[in-house]
Amino acid sequence: MISTIRIQTQDFDLAAEYQLLRQLKASVGAVVTFSGLVRDLEQQQSINSLTLQHYAGMTESLLQGIVDQAEMRWDLIGITVIHRVGKLLPSDQIVFVGVASQHRSDAFEAAQFVMDYLKTKATFWKKVDQNGQQYWVESKSSDQAARDRWSTDD
Amino acid sequence: MIKLLFFGRLGDFATGLSTSIDAVDGLTPAAVRDGLAAGHPQLVYELSQPQVLISLNQMIVDWDHPIVDGAELAFLPPVTGG
Repeated sequence: MISTIRIQTQDFDLAAEYQLLRQLKASVGAVVTFSGLVRDLEQQQSINSLTLQHYAGMTESLLQGIVDQAEMRWDLIGITVIHRVGKLLPSDQIVFVGVASQHRSDAFEAAQFVMDYLKTKATFWKKVDQNGQQYWVESKSSDQAARDRWSTDD
Repeated sequence: MIKLLFFGRLGDFATGLSTSIDAVDGLTPAAVRDGLAAGHPQLVYELSQPQVLISLNQMIVDWDHPIVDGAELAFLPPVTGG
């Protein structure tokens, strides 16, 4: 399997990433892509911006670990994970996960697995700016629950 | 020397704190945390929350893991990426 992991400040091109996964091998029969965007509201109030911090080096190795786990669980041809850091504005793209496989169920499930683990394991932290007031986003128990459903399958 | 890193909201409580400490025998992450208590009680309270994880040289470890000279010790609040 071919995996690509990138942490970057610049935006990404969904169509270009899709094409790269599509063209990995002639046996690719399914490509599932997910993009996460900056919502305009946090705690029911509009935000000015979001700033993403991460732990350089550790983030990449944690993401590689998640991708490796996905490869063990499903029959996959390629995975791309891109996560942006730095200052982002509402509607900006934050995260991309794309999975290529022969059959759709592997790609669907692996994409969801990677996102659920990324949200609860990868070392990123979001800070919100609401009219000059800054605060760190709290983690959500719903994200933990989304991840935990994968471990009950073992 | 041990390099100290505080991520996310923990960084706000560690403002002005030295980013490194001297290595001593028997040092553990718990000992480093407790050693901050005098000057930074609020930070130590935040570090003592059960959701806070620690890493040594970018590997998650327990609070009683031995720290060797030259290590990078990071305090990690719950992550919120994606």
